[in-house]
Amino acid sequence: MSKRKIGVYICHCGGNISDYVDVEKVRQAIEKEEDVVVAKTTMFACSDAAQQEMMDDIQQKGLDAIVIASCSPKLHLFTFRSMAQRAGLNPYQYVQVNLREQDSWAHTDDIEGATEKAIRLVRAGIAKARVSKPLEPIRVETEKKALIVGGGISGLRAAISLADMGIYVFLLEKEKELGGWVKNFSSMYPHNRSGREIIQKLVEEAKKRERITIFTEAELIEKGGVLGNFQVKIRTKGEEINLEVGSIIIATGFEEYRPSEGEFGFGLPGVVTLSQFKKMVENSQGELRFNGKKVNTVAYIYCVGSRQREGNTYCSRYCCNATLHTAILASRLSPSIRQFHLYRDIRTYGKNELLYEEASKLGSVFLKWSEDQPPEVSSQNGHLRVRVKDLLTDGEEVEIDTDLVVLVTGMVPRDNQALTEVLKLPIGRDGFYNEIHPKLRPVETVIDGVYIAGASQGPKNSYEAVASSLAAASKVATLVLKGFAELEPQVATVDPEKCEWCGLCLEACPYNAFEKVKHGDKEVAKVVEALCKGCGGCVPACPVDAIDVKGYEDATIKSMIEELLAGGEG
Amino acid sequence: MKKYDVLVIGAGIAGMETSLNLGDMGYKVLLVEKTPSVGGKMILLSKVFPTLDCASCISTPKMAATAHHPNITLLTSSEVEEVARKNGNFRARIKRRAVFVDPAKCTGCQECEFACTVAVPDEYNFGLVARRAAHIPFPQAVPKKAVIERAGTSPCSFACPTYIKAHGYIALARAGRFEQAFHLIMEDAPLVGTLGRACYAPCEDECTRGSLEGPLPIRRIKRFIADYYYSRHPEPEYGPPEEKKDQKVAVVGSGPAGLSAAYFLAQKGYRVVIFEAQKEPGGMLRYALPSFRLPKDVVERDIKNITALGVEIKASTRVESLRELREKGFDAVFLAIGTWEGRKMGIPGEELEGVEDSIEFLKEVNSGREYELSGKRVLVVGGGNVAIDSARVALRLGAKEVIVQYRRSRKEMPAFDWEVTDAEEEGVKFQYLKAPVRFIGESGRVKQVESIKMRLGEPDESGRRKPIPIEGSQERMDVDLVILAIGLKPATSPFASELELNKNGTVKVNSKTLQTSLPYVFAGGDVVTGPSMIVEAMGQGKRAAFFIDLFLQGKDLESAEYEYKLPKVSREEVLSRQLTHSKLPPLERKMVPPSERVKDFREEELPMSEEEVLYASSRCLDCGICSECHECVRVCPADAIDFNQKPVKMDVEVDAVVLSQGFKLFPAEKKPQYGFGRFPNVINAMQMDRLLAPTRPYNTVLRPSDGKVPDNIAYVLCTGSRDRTVGNPICSQICCMYSLKQAQLLMGALPLADITIYYMDLRAFGKGYEEFLQQAKDMGVQFVKGRIAKIEQKENGNLLLHYEDIENGGIKKVAEHDLVVLSVGILPNPEIAKIFKEEKLELDQFFYIKQVDEDLSPARTSIEGVFVAGTAAGPKDIPDSILTAGAASAEVAAYIESRRRAK
Repeated sequence: MSKRKIGVYICHCGGNISDYVDVEKVRQAIEKEEDVVVAKTTMFACSDAAQQEMMDDIQQKGLDAIVIASCSPKLHLFTFRSMAQRAGLNPYQYVQVNLREQDSWAHTDDIEGATEKAIRLVRAGIAKARVSKPLEPIRVETEKKALIVGGGISGLRAAISLADMGIYVFLLEKEKELGGWVKNFSSMYPHNRSGREIIQKLVEEAKKRERITIFTEAELIEKGGVLGNFQVKIRTKGEEINLEVGSIIIATGFEEYRPSEGEFGFGLPGVVTLSQFKKMVENSQGELRFNGKKVNTVAYIYCVGSRQREGNTYCSRYCCNATLHTAILASRLSPSIRQFHLYRDIRTYGKNELLYEEASKLGSVFLKWSEDQPPEVSSQNGHLRVRVKDLLTDGEEVEIDTDLVVLVTGMVPRDNQALTEVLKLPIGRDGFYNEIHPKLRPVETVIDGVYIAGASQGPKNSYEAVASSLAAASKVATLVLKGFAELEPQVATVDPEKCEWCGLCLEACPYNAFEKVKHGDKEVAKVVEALCKGCGGCVPACPVDAIDVKGYEDATIKSMIEELLAGGEG
Repeated sequence: MKKYDVLVIGAGIAGMETSLNLGDMGYKVLLVEKTPSVGGKMILLSKVFPTLDCASCISTPKMAATAHHPNITLLTSSEVEEVARKNGNFRARIKRRAVFVDPAKCTGCQECEFACTVAVPDEYNFGLVARRAAHIPFPQAVPKKAVIERAGTSPCSFACPTYIKAHGYIALARAGRFEQAFHLIMEDAPLVGTLGRACYAPCEDECTRGSLEGPLPIRRIKRFIADYYYSRHPEPEYGPPEEKKDQKVAVVGSGPAGLSAAYFLAQKGYRVVIFEAQKEPGGMLRYALPSFRLPKDVVERDIKNITALGVEIKASTRVESLRELREKGFDAVFLAIGTWEGRKMGIPGEELEGVEDSIEFLKEVNSGREYELSGKRVLVVGGGNVAIDSARVALRLGAKEVIVQYRRSRKEMPAFDWEVTDAEEEGVKFQYLKAPVRFIGESGRVKQVESIKMRLGEPDESGRRKPIPIEGSQERMDVDLVILAIGLKPATSPFASELELNKNGTVKVNSKTLQTSLPYVFAGGDVVTGPSMIVEAMGQGKRAAFFIDLFLQGKDLESAEYEYKLPKVSREEVLSRQLTHSKLPPLERKMVPPSERVKDFREEELPMSEEEVLYASSRCLDCGICSECHECVRVCPADAIDFNQKPVKMDVEVDAVVLSQGFKLFPAEKKPQYGFGRFPNVINAMQMDRLLAPTRPYNTVLRPSDGKVPDNIAYVLCTGSRDRTVGNPICSQICCMYSLKQAQLLMGALPLADITIYYMDLRAFGKGYEEFLQQAKDMGVQFVKGRIAKIEQKENGNLLLHYEDIENGGIKKVAEHDLVVLSVGILPNPEIAKIFKEEKLELDQFFYIKQVDEDLSPARTSIEGVFVAGTAAGPKDIPDSILTAGAASAEVAAYIESRRRAK
């Protein structure tokens, strides 16, 4: 093989690596490796200046491969690929070595060992770089069309936004009517706007737009194709329709937590959920009545179905705000009403704090209970009684005779098993759809081209759901407005000379990415590149070793293993 | 006017996300950021909740992507000053601040930072440590380019007539870099030793420290620098410049103005010849200043700085015709002949022998003439510097009695107070409000003087009160020598036919260019200004050299800019930046005792020791921040430093505007009962985040007062939030979570430390947050429900927290901790509203940007086409900021597309 010119950069990561790996020692150990012409350490390889330095090296020293030993490729693979590209080096001739997650963070108790491991990891990276070949991304055209699953406030708002950006939208709603939860509310915090009117307005706007096609009583039953070019099948009112779309937004919303029989007295007359109570308040003409009787006292029990030790461990986010808002409405209806809030923490975050203030001013009383001693609800002769140990009064046992007990029920994920399977969408430990990164990529998923919006990703109130649906719409736009997308070229490839079509590869492939083609006078397997994810599942299945994944060829992996097993410092 | 689709203001996480989204959609985005780097507050954090991802690791890809995106134009260190509607679009006026580094040349190597002599509190570490005036904001800054912080010109440097960077050489001296300090002075004035001794130091009058304990001894430090350098370098280290020009310049007069002009012209490669009428060069420096103030060997060494450049000095050559010089082949002339004629009193007896002119007297003494004054009485007439010098010289020549008569009172005397005091200490007698009316001689030699007493009348045109003789108060006194020191004037009569002169005999010049009525002749120094300071004359010489150079290059003089200076920093501004300052008393000026020094002409002022110089220079308050020591210029390998860089204003046209200017931290000083700013071990949570960050200032968590590793840390939640007493009734939405994050990180960093969180409610409401709270509880973080009422400091630096233990009977308790972290809330940045002139950008009741349709279009503001993203509209954590940024991008795209379709 002709001689390579490899640059190696070892990152301190501001101490994340260098506190436990002697990076200078690593540098010295690999400096003399064959083909290595640059060996440097750097404080932050990802910093602009360090990238500039690498680009200068690539251009001035004519590097034809580089190895960056820093963090997980999950973080900076694309950072460095783009750097390589700017410098005129094929991005697939850069190799990432993970010295942080796989070394320094894992061996904080053994600096010497971690350094030794780092040397071997970097050598393996050099081995990979030595055989690296340039690859070109697979380019696919993207359809200026999107599918939105869910016609609640999130789905509707996203549809209008996409249409306004010039993108065609197919909006699927499972129910007969659009509008989801919000259409049932007549007053929502913080602006007291009517959910019903908001939905009416959105539906009108959506119907006005030619680019939006609405399917009710509809569901997604099949998805094929690749990002930018999905082929989906929907079923609506007994009919199956095939559509081609560039991208998909999932906005399937949430379910209300349903307390089990007897949970905080659920099932007893007068024990209602928050949504039931809210409806009562909204529908009430004049003072609040229940079963014809004036309601004098209401006891709210917070965190029902949320913040559980086992089960729903998460906070449902919207309920403190919604409850206090409802309590304010109730006080307005019946100024003399007595309201007791049995809470754990009042989470009226941000500007919602004013709801807490106002409810308190209007006479709401707050009692705090401990997780270990939840309130008990009982009924004697049709009279409800709540007993709670109140932490705010030194753990005093308080008994409240009340007309209503409102269980402040949280949000739970919708049971969407079929849809989840069709899309192969990952689910988080809370049961909601999982984003790719909760901080910076909250609407993106690991399935390219599929985005999650609204409460399908996690509990949200109405305006938060709208913000997230617009965010998802903007991601769709970034994907389809350009007209094309580029896919990873590190896909499987079949050597037709070796292949004797047996079909085992197709069986092993989770993406149906193989087709049978003619090669001379025999039939062989061929990879459909746009479908292949490069997972490598087919490689060991092939009985004649005809398959390799580009960039991860057997020979490449073997040379890396050899370096890992070779002596360290030597 | 440049056109963009969208202007995004603020490049924090929301601004970057918005720009990237819009850029990816294909829109052209102009992203304007006030600070030198993108990244906002997030890049400064340690890790983020609830994933505990390293904040830099997840921010830097966004930062790099933002900076490199083909559709995003990034302007850092820039501010949008005005946005107005124009043909349905917006016109925005943007100002890019001067950062004094050319970003195109800067490679981010940090050499300037290492060389910089000024340390200021590092805002990126929230004041925990210092950074340099020349700095790269933080290691991951994008763009990674240096900037130099300059608040203005320091008052000392600003006051200098030849713009010596006094602050600069003080800063270099403070660092012990005396040779560099010498070279810095040489950039503006070649007579360093002279100025170190005989300059009247207008810089010291302006010193901000002067309004506190007393000014820095700037002149004496300069003397130390000169002595330090000259003792190591008896000869200049340089020779004539390599590049020579053919043109020749004649300098007439070798005083400070002439020498200075010659020096700067020779540096530029001109062939310079100085013509000097006297035997030796130096002018007044050699012939007027007594050597006990300015030893002549110092002057000689100073002059070598000029002659080493190849300047030729023709001594004993008097020039009387400028045209003649021109004919001899000089392309330009600098006339700097000073003021060598003493004024006459116009009273009887002035012509007598023994009545001498002061300047003649001093010249004679300096030329080595022996005066025999033992046992004699000398009368000096006048009250200026020359009078005092003459009196003190007379004393050193052995006079029994020296009397100075001055017609006004001491208050009006033009001589400096310290000069008079020095003279008094030596025994010179002063007779104020008295002046001679005639000198009485005997055989042609003065014998007696008759003087009259004066009283002060109304102020005259000089502003001083006019002396009025008191009739009949005449007195007579015997005298042996009378020295008249009542003023000097230039001897310009030979040039009267060639040049326009002023009535008082000075040469008429263009005050900017110093060009005379004869275009190739420039004039400066005392011959233009009348008697003045040495440094003033040197300033004129430097100025003349600049314009003579332009003249010889055939360039326009009037339009040229000479010596670009930033405005002077005000004393108030400097003092307001000092949170505290140590009381550092000035050092007394040390002199040879009067009884000793009058014995001969030895130098009267004693030098400062190196230690004294280090102490004295450490008193500098760094008024301008950057000291202009020019070390960065010297070390920059890319030649990227540009002290003349000016702010740039530009107008752009955009379709839409996104406001993502972020938030401010609550200033914890506003809760005085918590002692932030007074108790060193009460810090804010941003400071703690820095202590925990990968680019942390120390390698571990240390408490500020004594560097101890804390083992019992308290968190005070809701500092400045949910608190109407500080005007911020709302919840800041992030403090509970970042406190939990820090608590977890601290438990990892300091496994033995106890951590207690004092809270009102624990608001762990986002995805994965409640689980994060449980994790903190399981790790052993203590939680106490109760708001801290006040904090007291113990002598050992520990802190006593007073609170109501709500969950345990509500009793008042006191807890001791060794470090307290205030979980400060966030506040809006409403100033942005001011940039909108015609339409009003509405704010909500908390002064965040008002979302006019939060339910359906969260990014919409009260102005159509102006959108908001991130915390500019209210408190938010990072995911919510990202979501609102996404919403803003979608709304902007829909807005632009709808308008374009409508057209």
